[in-house]
Amino acid sequence: MSVEALSRISVPDDLAVAPALPDVLPPVKLRRGFIGLMRRHPTVTVGGGLVLTLIAMALLAPFLATVDPTALAPARRTRPPSPEFWFGTDMLGRDIYSRVVYGARVSLLVGFSVALLSSLVGLAIGLVSGFVRWADGFVMRVMDGLMSIPPILLAIALMALTRGSVQNVIMAITIAEIPRVSRLVRGVVLSLREQPYVDAAIAAGTRTPTIILRHILPNTLAPMTVQATYICASAMIIEAILSFIGAGTPPTIPSWGNIMAEGRALWQVKPFIIFFPALFLSVTVLAVNLLGDGLRDALDPRMAKEI
Amino acid sequence: MKTVSRRTVLKAAAGGALAASTRLAAPALAQGAGRTLRFVPQANLANFDPIWTTQYVVRNASALVWDMLYGVDDKLTPQRQMVEAEEVSSDGLTWTFRLRPGLKWHDGEPVLAKDAVASLARWCVRDSMGQMIVAIQNELTAVDDRTFRWVLKKPYPKMLFALAKSATPSAFMMPERIAKTDPFKQITEYVGSGPMKFVQSDWVPGAKAAFEKFADYVPRQEPASWLAGGKVMLLDRVEWVIMPDPGTASAALQNGEVDWWENPISDLVPVLKANRNVAVDIADPLGNIGSFRMNHLYPPFNDVRARRAVLMAMSQEDYMRAIVGDDDKLWKPLPGYFTPGTSLYTEEGGEILKGPRNLDAAKRLVAESGYSGEPVSCIVAQDQPITKAQGDVTADLLKRMGFNVDFVATDWGTVGARRAIKTPPGQGGWHMFHTWHAGSDCINPAPQIQLRANGDKAWYGWPKSDAVEAEINNWFDAKNLDEEKAVIRRLNKAALDFVVYAPTGFFLGYQAWRKNVSGIVKGPLPFFWNVNKASA
Amino acid sequence: MLAYVIRRVLATIPVMAVVALFVFSLLYIAPGDPAAVIAGDQATPADVERIRQSLGLDRPFLVQFGDWVWNIAHANLGTSMFTGIPVTKMIAQRIEPTLSLMAVTLVFAISVAVPLGVVAAWRAGSLLDRAIMAFAVFGFSVPVFVVGYLLAYVFALELEWLPVQGYTPISEGLWPWFENLILPAIALGCVYIALIARITRAAMLEVLAQDYIRTARAKGLGQSGILFIHALKNASVPIVTVIGIGIALLIGGAVVTESVFVIPGLGRLTIDAILRRDYPVIQGVVVLFSFVYVLVNLLVDLVYTFLDPRIRY
Repeated sequence: MSVEALSRISVPDDLAVAPALPDVLPPVKLRRGFIGLMRRHPTVTVGGGLVLTLIAMALLAPFLATVDPTALAPARRTRPPSPEFWFGTDMLGRDIYSRVVYGARVSLLVGFSVALLSSLVGLAIGLVSGFVRWADGFVMRVMDGLMSIPPILLAIALMALTRGSVQNVIMAITIAEIPRVSRLVRGVVLSLREQPYVDAAIAAGTRTPTIILRHILPNTLAPMTVQATYICASAMIIEAILSFIGAGTPPTIPSWGNIMAEGRALWQVKPFIIFFPALFLSVTVLAVNLLGDGLRDALDPRMAKEI
Repeated sequence: MKTVSRRTVLKAAAGGALAASTRLAAPALAQGAGRTLRFVPQANLANFDPIWTTQYVVRNASALVWDMLYGVDDKLTPQRQMVEAEEVSSDGLTWTFRLRPGLKWHDGEPVLAKDAVASLARWCVRDSMGQMIVAIQNELTAVDDRTFRWVLKKPYPKMLFALAKSATPSAFMMPERIAKTDPFKQITEYVGSGPMKFVQSDWVPGAKAAFEKFADYVPRQEPASWLAGGKVMLLDRVEWVIMPDPGTASAALQNGEVDWWENPISDLVPVLKANRNVAVDIADPLGNIGSFRMNHLYPPFNDVRARRAVLMAMSQEDYMRAIVGDDDKLWKPLPGYFTPGTSLYTEEGGEILKGPRNLDAAKRLVAESGYSGEPVSCIVAQDQPITKAQGDVTADLLKRMGFNVDFVATDWGTVGARRAIKTPPGQGGWHMFHTWHAGSDCINPAPQIQLRANGDKAWYGWPKSDAVEAEINNWFDAKNLDEEKAVIRRLNKAALDFVVYAPTGFFLGYQAWRKNVSGIVKGPLPFFWNVNKASA
Repeated sequence: MLAYVIRRVLATIPVMAVVALFVFSLLYIAPGDPAAVIAGDQATPADVERIRQSLGLDRPFLVQFGDWVWNIAHANLGTSMFTGIPVTKMIAQRIEPTLSLMAVTLVFAISVAVPLGVVAAWRAGSLLDRAIMAFAVFGFSVPVFVVGYLLAYVFALELEWLPVQGYTPISEGLWPWFENLILPAIALGCVYIALIARITRAAMLEVLAQDYIRTARAKGLGQSGILFIHALKNASVPIVTVIGIGIALLIGGAVVTESVFVIPGLGRLTIDAILRRDYPVIQGVVVLFSFVYVLVNLLVDLVYTFLDPRIRY
C-alpha cells in the first residue's frame, strides 16, 4: 500500500535523486520544545497519538477486556451490543469487545514485526548491494523478481507451505516487503557513494563499516523510517486479508481479520460483528499512515517526491 | 415495500437501447434462460464420483445424472426405478432383475444388464451393505441384455433397501466401461441414464456446475416421491452456483439472482422469511445427526476412557446452538445413534450424555487413560457452517479438558481426503474430525456405515468392537419389530459404551427458494424433478 | 530506440527467471515429499514411487526446473492435484472475470483519481485539497472487503440498484456484464484511487512550480490548457509508474473482491487452491500473475519514452 513509486524505476543516478541530506539528524528540530513540535506537525501528533493509544490498548488487553475472549457460550450467541457486551457477541457467544481488544495485539504485533524485520533485512541487503559491485546486479535481479510477485499472492503462497500461525504470517509478509526496502537503501547508498565527501573518506582509507556508520546510515534513517510505517500499515491489512480468506492467523487466536471472517456470513443481519473490528483496523491503519505522512513531511519535505 | 424492483426500472431506463440490442442478438439464449434454475448447493462439487466418496453434495448432484435400480420413497420404502420387475426364489437365495425397456445412456447407447452388473460390483466394494452381500454372494451375472441375476449363499431380506437407499454411497448405475474403474480411484467420465446430462464443458470446480435436460429420459408413470416414481424434468437447465459465503447467498436469493438455496444458516432465515418473494421451510423432517469422530487407531483416543471422557464433558446444547442458533424448535439432544421420531429410536445407555456436565470427572478419566500431552489434531472444514460451528465448540471443549489442541483449519474437500489417511497423526493422519449424517440414514443400522465397528473396514476412525458388530448382525437377523427394538436398545448401549463416535445432537435445517419456483419438496436431498420455475 | 526496447525486454528475462525459480521451488520448500504431496492422500507407497519416477522427481533439481520451464514455454502448467484438470484449462475458464474486473477497475480508478489529483494540486493547501487527501488516506486504510460488504449492503440489498454477486460474461450482454462489475470495481478501486490521486498531486505540484509553467501563464495560456497540456504531460512519468506498480495491488485486491462478490475468477481459484494446498494451481496462478506484472511494467517503461523523450537508458 505504500507509495514508494520511484524506488522501483531503474533511474540513472544523476537524474531524479534528491540531493543528499546534510549529516544532521532530526533532533535539531526538536530543540524548540515538544509542544511547538506538536503544533508544527499535526499529522505526526495525531497519527502518533493514535498509534500510542492502540499500543496501550494492546498491552493492557488483559485489563481492558471484560471477559475471556475465547470463552464460548453458544446460548448467548449473536446478541447485539448491550451494557454487558459492549460490542455484542459473535456466533459462538464470545464477547466481541474483548476479542477486538485482544485482536489489537495480533495486528500490532504483525505490523511492527514486519516493519522491523523487513527494514533490518532490507537494510542489510541494500547495503551489500550498494557497496559490493559484483553482487549488485545479481541481488537486484532477485529483488526485482520477488517484487514482481504481487505481495498478497506471495504471502498467500508462502502461507500455503505452512500451518497458519502468527509467526508464519509475519515471515510471509516480511519476505514480501523486503525487496522494497532493499531498493530504497540501495538507492541512497548509490547516490551517496558519488558524493565528494564520501569519496574523500574512501580515498583517505576509511574502512567501509565506518563509512556506513557515519555517512550512510544517518541518511537512510529518515526514508527508512517513513517506509517502515507504510510497511507496517500494509502488513496489518495483508494480515487481515489473509485471516479473512482463512490462510492467516488460526481461528483460535482472535485477530481483527478472523473476527471479520467469522462474521461475514451475517453481514446483513448482524453487521456489528464485522463493523467493530473493521473500525479498529481502519483507524489503526489510518493512524499509522498519518504517522508516516507526517514523518515524511517533518523529516525532509523533499522526500515527499520520492516516497 | 418494493413491488417492482428498482433494478428493473433502472435497467430499463439506463440500459434500454443497449440491453435491447444485445438481447436481440441472442434470442435463443433469452428463451432458454427462462427455464434455468440456479441452485446454491451445500458445498463445492470438487469431484464427481458418488461411489468413490460419501459426501452428500456429490450424491445430490449424482442423483440428477445417474439413475438407480430402486429408489426410496418418502416412507423410506424401496420402489422400482430402473427395474421393471424382480423375482426372488422361494429360498431367498436367487434374485432375478429385469430392466425397463427403452432406457438409454446420455451418449445414446442402450442401458444393458451388464452395465448394471459392473456398477453393482463397483458399488459393493465401497458400500457397507454391498460388502455384506458380496460376503454371501455366489455369483452376479447378466443373463441377457435386460436381465441379470444375483445368487447368494444366505438370504438377504434387505436387498431392495440396499439398492434403493439414499445413504451414501447410493447404488447409481453407470455404463460398464466407467463402472470398471477401480473403486478407489475416481471416474473421469460422467455419463449416466438419469433425467439430466452433466455439461462437463461448463464445469468450473469451485464456481459452478451445469446440468441439461436429457430428452430421451423415460420417466416412470407413478407420481414422484423422493427417489421413487416418475422423475419428470420440467426445467431445461439446472445450474449449481457455488457460494462459500452464506451472507452473499442470502442476498443473492433475496435479489432473485439465485432461485433455490439448499441450506441457509438459521441466523439468516428470519431475513429470508421476511422477504415477500422468498419461501422458507424445513429441508428434511428427518433432520440430521451431528457427529464428532475420533481416531481409534492412535492415542489418546484409542483408549475408551479418553473417548468416554469427551462424552462426559461435552454439552450437546452448545453444539446444537452453535449450529442452529436460537430457535429451540430446531434441535433435540440425542443420547444415541438413531433418529428421533422413528420406530427404532432409543435412549438406552445415553445417561452419560444427559444431565449436568462433569468436567472434573472427565479430566480425571483423561489422566487415567494415560494422555501424555501430545498434540491432538482436529481437522475442521471452514467452508461448511455445520462442521465449522462444531469444530469451534470442540476445540474449546478439548482445551478445557486439558488436551493440547492442534486446530487445522481447512476445507471440506480436504477433510474428505485427509480423513481417509490411516498413518499416525504426526505423519499426515488425524485425531478427530466432524461431520453430520442425514436422519434418513440413521433410522436403522442398515445404511449406517458410521456405526459399524469392524476395524479396518469401518468408516473413518476405524472403531473395532465385537460387541457392537454382534448386535448389528443380530439386527439383520431379527424377525419382527419387537425383536429389532430389543436388539437396537442393546446396540445403542454397546455403541455408546464403546463410543463408536460422539453424537453431538439432532438438528433440523432449512431450505429457501423464490416463490416463483414450484414443486420443491422436503426430503433427504434436493429433488429437481417436478420442479418448475415461472418467469420472475 | 529499438536498441532500448530490446535491452529492456532482455532485462526482464532474469527477473522472470527468478520468479520462475522461486515459484517452482515452492513445492520443494513445502514440508513433506513432493511426490507424496502430488500423489495425494489415498496413495500407497508404491503409488508415490511410481509418481516420483513418472514426474522425474529423482532427477537433479536443475534438470527438473528446466523441464518445468520448458513446459511453461509450451503453456503447460501441470495438472491440478484435486480436480485432475490441467491448470491452464482451469485458468482459462476463470480468466475472463478477473481480467474484466481489473480492466473496469483500472479505467474507473484512473478516470477518477487523476482529475482528483490534478484538482488537489491546483488548489494546493485549500480545504478541497485537504479533503481530497484525507479521502485518499482513508482509501487505503479501510480493507477492501469491508468496503465491498458496505457497498453490497447499501446498493444491492437496500436500494436494489445493482446485483449483489456473480459475473455475467460479456457474450451475454454488455450492460449485464458491466452491471455485475460496478460494485466490485468501486470496492477494489478505492485503494488504487487513493494511491494514484496522491502521486498525481505530488507530481503535479512539482511540475507546477517549474519555470516553464510560469512562462505559459505569462503567455496567457488558459488554466485548463496549462494544467492538462503542459503540466500533466510532464507529470505523467511518475503517474504512469504508479499505475504500473499499482497493478500488483489490483491483483491482490481482486483476490478478496472476488470472494466477497462471488465472481468466479482467478482470485477465488487461488483461495480455493491455498486451502487445499493444490500446489500446481498455486504455482500456475502466481507465475501467471507475476509474468503479467512484469509485462505491464515493461510496457510502462516503454511508454515513458513517449511521454518523456529525455528518458533514455
